[in-house]
Amino acid sequence: MAGIVRSAYQLVSSNWRKVALGLASTAVFLLIWWLYAAWLRADWPFHGTPSGAWEYVPYPLEVLDAFYLSFWSHPVSGLYMGEHIYASLKRFFMGFILAFALAVPVGLLMGRFWTADAAGKPIVELIRPIPPIAWIPIFLVLLGVIRGPIAIVFLGIFFPILLNVQFGARSVDPTLIDAARTLGARRLDIFLKVVLPFTVPYLMTGVTVGLGIGWMCIVAAEMLGAAGGGVGYFIFVTAGNSQFPYTYAGMLMIGILSILTTGVAGLVERRVSKWVGMR
Amino acid sequence: MDKKVIIAIVLAAIIVVGVASAALLLSKEDKGGTVKYLAMAPKDMKAALTTDQVDAYIAWEPYVSDSVVGRVGEVLVWTEDIMPNHPCCVLVLRTEFLSGTNGLELAQRFVKAHIEATKWMNDALADKESQNYTKLVDMAVGFTSRNASVIKAAFEHLEYRYEMGSSFDSALEQFTDMYIDLNMTTSAKLGDRGYTSVADFVDRYVNESFLEAAGGIAPSATILNPGSPIKLGYLLGDLHQMAQVVAQSSTATGTGKSFLETYGLEVEDAVGAPFASGGAEMDGFSAGTVDIGYLGAPPSILKHLNGGTGTTIIAQANIEGSGLVVAADSGINSLRDLVNKTVAVPGPPAETSIQFLLLKIELERQGLEFVVKT
Repeated sequence: MAGIVRSAYQLVSSNWRKVALGLASTAVFLLIWWLYAAWLRADWPFHGTPSGAWEYVPYPLEVLDAFYLSFWSHPVSGLYMGEHIYASLKRFFMGFILAFALAVPVGLLMGRFWTADAAGKPIVELIRPIPPIAWIPIFLVLLGVIRGPIAIVFLGIFFPILLNVQFGARSVDPTLIDAARTLGARRLDIFLKVVLPFTVPYLMTGVTVGLGIGWMCIVAAEMLGAAGGGVGYFIFVTAGNSQFPYTYAGMLMIGILSILTTGVAGLVERRVSKWVGMR
Repeated sequence: MDKKVIIAIVLAAIIVVGVASAALLLSKEDKGGTVKYLAMAPKDMKAALTTDQVDAYIAWEPYVSDSVVGRVGEVLVWTEDIMPNHPCCVLVLRTEFLSGTNGLELAQRFVKAHIEATKWMNDALADKESQNYTKLVDMAVGFTSRNASVIKAAFEHLEYRYEMGSSFDSALEQFTDMYIDLNMTTSAKLGDRGYTSVADFVDRYVNESFLEAAGGIAPSATILNPGSPIKLGYLLGDLHQMAQVVAQSSTATGTGKSFLETYGLEVEDAVGAPFASGGAEMDGFSAGTVDIGYLGAPPSILKHLNGGTGTTIIAQANIEGSGLVVAADSGINSLRDLVNKTVAVPGPPAETSIQFLLLKIELERQGLEFVVKT
């Protein structure tokens, strides 16, 4: 425990400017939020008549309270926040793994071979802009209540990874390939030792963007007969019943989950970059 | 390294909570006599039933007759058999509307037009050979985008009614009590809104005075609100809300004027109408963009209590008219046969709808539990 405190202290002391700026901007954000909520309510420091819709913006502390209660004493659909997180994470990781497993090879192929690019591009460009929400009834019927929501998350994550990998694979410096060839590398070597490592940073950008969009899709995904609830379902239900502090608590949870998954992705990136020799 | 440790600990904590909750949930499921539910948009229910995503669904018309007429489903229970004369859709007024120019009189006239439209529908439905019955079916076909056979079947199980009365009030009390049990609102919220009890809430939230005043309203040759129409909210293709279609139609009265025009009203669709859900319509009431609207009683209760939306119920729109549908030849012949099976309920929010509440009431009568599918 002391070790964690010490390392947290080191982390803060070595980055204190960043930490201070982050805290300051968060404080300003919370202050603006608080003032807006107070203004809607005509609470101190404002006065006059409250807006008819003041309950749509709870105070930050009310949200924090709801966040805490949602774990222990305020179930939604009979499920506590822990259960909603579990349901969402399961859905999210299945979607992510599928998207990753498919987007990386397809992106590499489309980036390196003009034939693959020409064949894949029309389909990718046609499907990419379709909002995930539009697929809901179709996926429900074709894929069912378990796989349907996963497919929505999959779509959100798939395209950012695909496009970034494709772009990365395409922008490999030809002199690197020539150099490798001069040194006697075969096609497979070039692919594994030049193209793939070069693509990793692009891939990770795609993963980071994709993770964010994946979490954005979770609310849409969980409108679709979401078994076992989910954080998106939690948001949808509480907003539908005007239990707004809980709605915001759900949003906060999505934010936290997104930060955590992006953080893990950052760690993996550093590992992988080192491993493939890009860092 | 340090950062990794912190992140790993936080992640581990989340996973532990998740796994513990899952374990808790699995142990809950082991009990016998449980029926599971899943929230779904009613428009998707028929397809979900035919592809075996769910074993049954409960919804309002025309989504029930849709499956029955198409011979893919049959009705296991009509909601009228669970609670005869149960409330369903209501007419809701934004209370602030009353403080606008002629607000009170406009609302009273609207209720009068609603009453006349409802009576016209009931007369039409009473005589299936009549011209008005055909007119009504045509209007419903246009409004719901269903074919005439589905509409005619649906009309058999729903009744249009504007009166409210004591059985209406006691049903709303029962629903509100269930919402408190289900954690969807709290007694504290009742207190926040100035109500001393559930009975006090229903007594004051349901306002009979508009129906009473309607008796004294006569047709008007002039429009009372030229240039500032009443903004009307209603739900997409909801057959329960036909009164507003009839009230706006110029063919029903036979005079060339709609019921609304007959009583001197200019009305237009509110921004966002037709709404996809009652919750969305209540948000319109909160934003002040809906003056009068048709919607289910539950969202109007919950969003008024939880979100403080300034509304009041001024008339009923219909009673009954929902059913539990199972696949044709599914072998499900009683609610007991639904144990460990999944029923789609309208939502999310899943627990809000009258259909959910009524099914829960009936399952509990038979000693069965109704829990969310996990």
